[in-house]
Amino acid sequence: MTLVDAGSPPELVPRPRRLRLDLTTPALLGLPLAWLAVFFLVPIAIVAAYSFDVYSLNSGPHGFTLTAWHDFLHSSVYLKLFWKSVKLSLTVSAIIVLLAYPLAYYLALSGTKRKYILLLLLIAPFLTSYLLRVLAWKVILGNQGAVNTFLFWTGLRSPDHPLSQLLYSRFAVMLVLGYIWLPFVALPIFVSLESLDRRLLEAASDLGASRLQAFRRVTLPLSLPGVVAAFLFVFIPTLGEFVTPSLVGGASGYLYGNQIVDLFGTGFPDWETGSVLAIFLLGVVAILTVVFARFLQPAEVTVD
Amino acid sequence: MDVALSKNGARLLRAFFALIVLFLYAPIVILLIFSFNNSEVPSFPLSGFTLHWYHEFLSNSDLKGALETSGIIAALSSTGAVVLGLLAAMALTRRRFRGKAAVSALLLSPLVIPYVVFGISLLLLFHTIGVPRSVLTVVIGHIVISVPYTLLVLVPRLNQIDISLEEAAFDLGASRLRTFRSITLPLILPAILSAFLIAFTTSFDEYAVASFVVGTRATFPIYLYSALRFPSQLPQVIAVAVVVLVLSLAVVVAAEVGRRIAERRFASLESSG
Repeated sequence: MTLVDAGSPPELVPRPRRLRLDLTTPALLGLPLAWLAVFFLVPIAIVAAYSFDVYSLNSGPHGFTLTAWHDFLHSSVYLKLFWKSVKLSLTVSAIIVLLAYPLAYYLALSGTKRKYILLLLLIAPFLTSYLLRVLAWKVILGNQGAVNTFLFWTGLRSPDHPLSQLLYSRFAVMLVLGYIWLPFVALPIFVSLESLDRRLLEAASDLGASRLQAFRRVTLPLSLPGVVAAFLFVFIPTLGEFVTPSLVGGASGYLYGNQIVDLFGTGFPDWETGSVLAIFLLGVVAILTVVFARFLQPAEVTVD
Repeated sequence: MDVALSKNGARLLRAFFALIVLFLYAPIVILLIFSFNNSEVPSFPLSGFTLHWYHEFLSNSDLKGALETSGIIAALSSTGAVVLGLLAAMALTRRRFRGKAAVSALLLSPLVIPYVVFGISLLLLFHTIGVPRSVLTVVIGHIVISVPYTLLVLVPRLNQIDISLEEAAFDLGASRLRTFRSITLPLILPAILSAFLIAFTTSFDEYAVASFVVGTRATFPIYLYSALRFPSQLPQVIAVAVVVLVLSLAVVVAAEVGRRIAERRFASLESSG
C-alpha cells in the first residue's frame, strides 16, 4: 500500500500525458461524497431545520422556535409510543439473538462438513423479498387464514371462535419481525464463533474444565462482540419500523415509525412535529451507533 | 472427545436447527400450496388444483407494469451504486488521505439510518427544490441506501488483491487508469457482480423509502402493499409472491455458487502467481 500511496514515483523520462483522467483522490471521492452530501446530509439538515421552524414549506411567518420540541418532550403520547417501540424492539432482538446463538454454535463448532451449505440455507430467506415474507404471515395468521382454518378443519377449534389475536396485534408484529431478522442475526454470531481458536477449548478441557465451564469462561466471552453486533443489527432497524406494523399490527401494533409516517401523511399532516419525531429517532440511533461503533464497524472497510 | 459439544448436545442442536429451518421455510411453502389452490380465499381445507392465479397475474397489466418499473429502477440504481461504491472503494483502499475514517463513516451511515427518516428527508428535499416525484427520485434514494452494501463487498476484495501486481503495472509505465483497467478490474469483477446483485435486489424489494418519493408509476413493492388491502387480489398476489420468492432463492444460490467458483479460481491464480 505504501508504494502506491507515496504518490507518483519520480519519473526519469517524463512522459506526455494525453489524458488528464487519472485516479487521484478527488477524482475518486468527488462523486460519491457529493452524492451523499446532496441526497443524504442536506435532506436530513432540511428535516432538522424544519423541526425548529427555521425552514418551512408553509407560507406564513416562521422563525427559530423550540415549540415543537418542547411539545414533543412534554407529550405523553409520542414518548409513550417511543418507549413502546423501544420495548418491542428490545424484546424481539433479545429473543432472536437467544434463538440464533445455538444455531450459529451448531454451524461453527459441531464440526459439520456442510456448514456453509447449512448457513446458506439459514440465510437465504433473508435475501428474498421482505414484503412477501410479511404477506406470507398475513395469509397464515388471519381469522380466515391458514392457522385458523386448519384448526377449524381438524376440529381443534370451532369456526365461531377463531384465534383472533393472531393477526393485527403486537404479537403479530413481534412474530413477523423475529421471523424476518432471525436468519440475519445468526451471521455475526457465526462469524465470531467461527474465528474462535479451538485450541483454547482444548486447553480448557485439558485443564479440567467441563464443557459448560469452557463455554462460560471461554466461548461465550469471546463470542460476545458478535452477539452485541447481532443485537444491534436488529434493534437499530426495527426501532423505526413502520411497514410490518402497518401490515400486521392493527391498532395495538401501531409504533413510533407509523406515527412519523402519519404526521407526513394525507390525513392531518403536521410536518413540523413529524420532523421532531424523525430527528429524535435519528439522534437515538446515532448515539447507539457511536457508542457501539467498535462492534458495528466492518473492520475491513475502516481499517486503514 | 469433542471439546465444544457432546454427542447428545450435537444431536439436540441439530434438531433445533432443523426446527428453525422448518419455521423459516414453512410460510413460503404454505404460500406455494395456496398459489395452486382453487379458491378465492387462502384457507384450509384445500379445494383443488388450479393454475388460474398464475394465468391471472400474467394478464394483469398493472402488476406487470409495476414489475417493469421496479426492474428499471433497480437496474439504474444498482449501476449507480456500484459506480459510486467502486470509486469510493478505490480511494479507501488505494489512496492515503486525511479524514479517511470520517469518509468511510459517512459512506456507511445509510446502513443505520431508519428508512422512515431517510424517506421523509428525501421527500422534503424534493419538495424544497421543486422536483416532482418520479422513477428518478426513487433511483436517487436507492443509490444512497445501496452504496454501503457495495462498499462492504468491494473493499475487502480490493484489500485482498496483491498490491504488487498493480505496482508492477504502474512501474512498467501504465497510468493509474490503465493499471485499474487491466489489472484491478479483472480481479474484482466477481465482487463487482455480487455488489451489483445485492444493490439490485435491495432496490427491487425496497418499500419504505420508495413509499415517500414514488411518483405515479408504482414499483413492485408499492403495488404489492396496495394490493394487500384488497382481498380479491390476494390469490394472484400469492402466485406472484411464489414466483418472486422462488426466483430470488435461485438467484441467491446461484450467486453463492458463482462466488465459490470465483474464489477458487482466485486462489489458484494467487498460488500460481
